Amino acid sequence: MFFKVNPIAGQPLYLQLMQQIRHATETGALQDGDQLPGIRTLAEKLVVSPNTIAKAYSELEHEGVLELRQGSGAFVCVKRRIRSLADSVLVARRRIRDLIDRLRDDGLVDEEIRRAFEAELLFPSEVARKR
Amino acid sequence: MLWYKAWLETRSRFLVSLVTLTTFSSIFFHHALYISCSNTLPCPEKISHSERISEFHRLLFINQQYVVIMWILAVVLLGMGGLLREKALGTSSLTLTLPVSRARLMRVRVVTGVFQAVALGVVPWLAVLIISSRARMPISVAQVGFYILLLVGGGLIYFAMAVLVSSLVSGEYTAPALAFGAILMGAMLFDNWLRRFNVWRLVTGDFSVDRNTFLLSKHLPWPGILGSLCAAALMLLASAMAVQRKEF
Amino acid sequence: MSIGCNRITAFLGRNGAGKSTTIKILLGLIRPSAGSGEVLGRQITDLEQNREMRKRVAYVAEDKPLYGYMTVEQTINFARSFYSDWRIDVEKKLLLDFELPANRKVKSLSKGMRTKLALLLAFARRPDLLILDEPSEGLDPVGIEYLLRTLVSYSAEGVSIFFSSHQIAEVERVADHICILEKGSLLMDASVEQLRQSYRRIDIVFSALPPEHVFQISGVESIKTDGHQMRVFASRNAEAVVERAQELSAVSVEIAPVGLREVFLETVGEN
Repeated sequence: MFFKVNPIAGQPLYLQLMQQIRHATETGALQDGDQLPGIRTLAEKLVVSPNTIAKAYSELEHEGVLELRQGSGAFVCVKRRIRSLADSVLVARRRIRDLIDRLRDDGLVDEEIRRAFEAELLFPSEVARKR
Repeated sequence: MLWYKAWLETRSRFLVSLVTLTTFSSIFFHHALYISCSNTLPCPEKISHSERISEFHRLLFINQQYVVIMWILAVVLLGMGGLLREKALGTSSLTLTLPVSRARLMRVRVVTGVFQAVALGVVPWLAVLIISSRARMPISVAQVGFYILLLVGGGLIYFAMAVLVSSLVSGEYTAPALAFGAILMGAMLFDNWLRRFNVWRLVTGDFSVDRNTFLLSKHLPWPGILGSLCAAALMLLASAMAVQRKEF
Repeated sequence: MSIGCNRITAFLGRNGAGKSTTIKILLGLIRPSAGSGEVLGRQITDLEQNREMRKRVAYVAEDKPLYGYMTVEQTINFARSFYSDWRIDVEKKLLLDFELPANRKVKSLSKGMRTKLALLLAFARRPDLLILDEPSEGLDPVGIEYLLRTLVSYSAEGVSIFFSSHQIAEVERVADHICILEKGSLLMDASVEQLRQSYRRIDIVFSALPPEHVFQISGVESIKTDGHQMRVFASRNAEAVVERAQELSAVSVEIAPVGLREVFLETVGEN
């Protein structure tokens, strides 16, 4: 499994990792019953604090995405229909592509578009709604 | 393995001193007794037997004079080192973060030095004993023991002073220079005003020798030796306290 | 300042801020002029307790001290004799990985090899606490990667790690917590994930700049103005800043995350 965390992305590393694991289960890269690397192994591989890995695994267990078996490790336990989620991701990508084309037509450069996306993603939607 | 470290640190100084002292005494006596009819010890044909014995005893006394100088030089150099020196070298943060107390570090250093000082006193005289016995000179173990006891018992104060200086001053050359300077000053002081407490005269046997026979008198100058050892102990205590208080 | 167990805590500060001095005070090399401290439950100013504590603490000083007159093998044997938590298998592995010549005297080793040997003396143990002062100094990038991987591995085994560093990029990857020291004062003691989540740079453009004090909301660390632009750094509560900007009819509001380097410079610079 290839994970990558970005220390400067403005998002806690454990959240990034959680998203990547969740995404992997949704696209089928990780299937039900697959074993994830141990905390120490993954920490060494990514060169991040093991607390990050531990927290990510623990939160995912809370969500029901992973099952942590004492002594054995972390196992994926997602029973979902993969195809529908992969489809919705494809749809989302298409919509984003259209939106980006429209923003470019409006005269925005790619850097501005990217920052706008990041800004929107970085604080809770309640504030956005208030606006 | 603190003892091993102390040995590695002082090994060269000790071995060089040991070889020098022993070689000197050996050559001195070998030359006097075997090689030729020298001015130091004229041939049997020229003087009477009792005069020859007396001359031999004078040789022992002279040997002690030389040995004392070299021995003091050696033990002052052996007393150098310690934690302040390590600070200058940059290794004190390794030594001081070991799970050992500063007191223990000082103890190991001092005890190693004392053993070495004793060896430096015993071995050269042992060589003299062997060479003289082989030449069938009337050398008594008691006399040799007397000289050794005077040297080491009276002289450890010089070692202690070196340890004290090295616990207060950290320069590689400053510390020994100061130690030797202090010894010289002490020597002048005691020679002029406090002759009775002159350690130099104690260790060279000046207080104990019979000027006629050049034999050391029957009774060891216990008060002198004990006084010197007490002063040495006090200096070592002061060194330990200085090191304890120092910030590294 | 308090450093938690089972974490990797990084100690940041400018040169001369007092990082090395703090560490030396903890280990009994220097006496504190005031105050007290405890390491692993033991008083640092009590000689005997401090000595007991040092049995469970591994420390590598900034200048990677070693005895020049000992060989590599003698140095290792020497260090090993003091600690019951020594692991021979790790020692052998590190000796191989670092390619250290066993019979060479330390004084004839290169700087990189000396650094590796100094680190080996700490890593071959399994202490409760590992304290490192600028560990990556003298290491090439491969060595630094190895070092970080080793730190992470130790943390996973339950060793608490406290290290000072100027390599902010490395700190950003592995540290759970950071402490920022400046002129002997602790300016920040925060979780890195918390900073990632909450520390923000907000750039606001106004047609007419309001006075700065309007933005003195709790959480705001600094406010800078330049023409019609205002740049606000907030360690938390960025949403409140955005709201205030909108209330004051800002022309544009942009929020961006702040990397650790900027957090450090902002925190230290302001003082």
